[in-house]
Amino acid sequence: MSAELVVRGLVRRFGGTPVLDGVDLAVPAGECVALLGPSGSGKSTVLRLVAGLDTPDAGRVHAGGRDLTGLPPERRGTAMVGQRPRLFPHLSVLDNVAFPLAVAGRRRREARAQAAGHLALVGLADLAARRPATLSGGQEQRVALARALAASPAVLLLDEPFSALDPGVREEMHRLLADLRAAVAPTVLLVTHDRQEATVVADTVAVLLDGRIAQAGPAEELHTRPATLAVSRFLGGANEVPGRVEGGAHVSALGRLALPVPVAAGPGVLVVRQEAVAVTGPGDDADATGTVTRVTPRGARRRVEVATPAGPLSAEVGPGLAPAPGSAVGLVLPVAQRWVVPCPDAQRAEG
Amino acid sequence: MTRAAPLRRRAGVAPRVALALVWLALPLVPLVLWAAADRWSFPALLPTAWGLTGWRQAADQGAAAALGRSVLLGLVVAALATPAGAMAGRALALHRVPARRLVEGLLLAPVAVPPFAVVMGLTTLTLRAGIPGTVALVCVLTVSALPYTVFVMRSAYTGYDVGVEEEARTLGAGPRAVLLRVHLPLAAPALATAAFLAFLVGWSDYVVTLVVGGGQLVTLPMLVGALSSATGNDAVVAAVSLTAVLPPLLLLVATALLARRGAR
Repeated sequence: MSAELVVRGLVRRFGGTPVLDGVDLAVPAGECVALLGPSGSGKSTVLRLVAGLDTPDAGRVHAGGRDLTGLPPERRGTAMVGQRPRLFPHLSVLDNVAFPLAVAGRRRREARAQAAGHLALVGLADLAARRPATLSGGQEQRVALARALAASPAVLLLDEPFSALDPGVREEMHRLLADLRAAVAPTVLLVTHDRQEATVVADTVAVLLDGRIAQAGPAEELHTRPATLAVSRFLGGANEVPGRVEGGAHVSALGRLALPVPVAAGPGVLVVRQEAVAVTGPGDDADATGTVTRVTPRGARRRVEVATPAGPLSAEVGPGLAPAPGSAVGLVLPVAQRWVVPCPDAQRAEG
Repeated sequence: MTRAAPLRRRAGVAPRVALALVWLALPLVPLVLWAAADRWSFPALLPTAWGLTGWRQAADQGAAAALGRSVLLGLVVAALATPAGAMAGRALALHRVPARRLVEGLLLAPVAVPPFAVVMGLTTLTLRAGIPGTVALVCVLTVSALPYTVFVMRSAYTGYDVGVEEEARTLGAGPRAVLLRVHLPLAAPALATAAFLAFLVGWSDYVVTLVVGGGQLVTLPMLVGALSSATGNDAVVAAVSLTAVLPPLLLLVATALLARRGAR
């Protein structure tokens, strides 16, 4: 039932200002793409346009080779689960899940039997007779997922479905989503502002910045090889060393640093994820040396900020490994983790 | 604690409900007594002769037919004013309405204007225009009922999440299915309240029925008016009055039960 979703050149303006300015996006059949963007970036608008709840000013939406643009929502086969579960309060849990089957014209008994199967899929078979008002937030969202799957959608649209849940419940829901994907392999487009959620849940992450897809790819690629400084910064990248590429190396205030892959010569900003940077003594083969200015806890890890000749650089270290503020340290930027974002001036202007 | 709370709340509510019922029932006591009295001479505390003569006379005066006309008038007014009020209320609560204050003021105006004043002018107008009295009556009463239905429905739609309807659309429900399976069930308690109020406007009207209706339509209030001014027979007036009081009370109970079911 799942189909490939293709979005081309989607434009949506609100009062003249374009919120979406030519969004291109593809979700292969049975895969999960996370649309990641800051709040107000228009990611929910993308979903509403795909679902047919809003009309684009330009662009087209295709699913499984069918042009959906202009079709009413009920004829698109794009079930949506939002941040609020929006269960029908007047129906039992089972009849909520049976709703899409009932409106599709199934007999009541058949619809309920099938709905019971979907309810079992989300692990709530024993709550079938309950009213939505008696459920917890996590249970409501499970029912909403079951209801959406009962519509056997060509594409399942998830609009920040887990962001209102407690962290523990959210992780449970991530596991549930993984199980559901293994069981019924729906095509999923997930919108989220949570970078971690995007990387946990999706095969591909698409970053929506300034009304366009700034970059799409596997989560690791986005983090270690960002296309622009804006993407790097949005994904939390802290280290930017301006300089130039000359003869396969990056030349900056840090000196000449070899690059793992060939890069065209010219101005470029070296970026290295802080998670990849190692802290050593000031001597031992450090790529940069400097003084620790600040140490801030990041959960179990610590962020160490170091003042270097090329400006502040950061490293994240495990528990008990952080040097004291004021001490002189060396930083190792592993060759494989070095990446250069070209054209610093153009990028700066944008960021 | 969570188990005990509703019990305690119920215990506190019961006496208050009882008081409210007494408050409602008290004025009806003499009415009930009169309706069951064949004779009730002045100093006696209770009727001096019990009997159903009043009811028999009421039946002879056409009370049954008047009851039917009143029910019909109430239902027609409710059937017209409720959907109109629901649509206006939904628009006011959920959509951008141009000149909102003006629209709200116009919809509320029939409550603020004394009906007697308007009705006199309207009669002349409808007579000149050749509109049948009953049609004019239904129109005027529907407009009088609109403020109640509009504002009941507006406050109901203010707490209504249109997202639920959008959700239903993405699940494959067309506009008709959304209306029948989502919108109407969710609005049902408010619709019942609005319809009840509109019914009462038609049911209890006297002035408009008399003047605009030109006395063609003899409803229960008309009968009560005619009997109480003409016969001086308190028993028959009491019987007809009781007939006029009971249906709304029954409807009130039904509406309250429906609203409670909707709230669950």
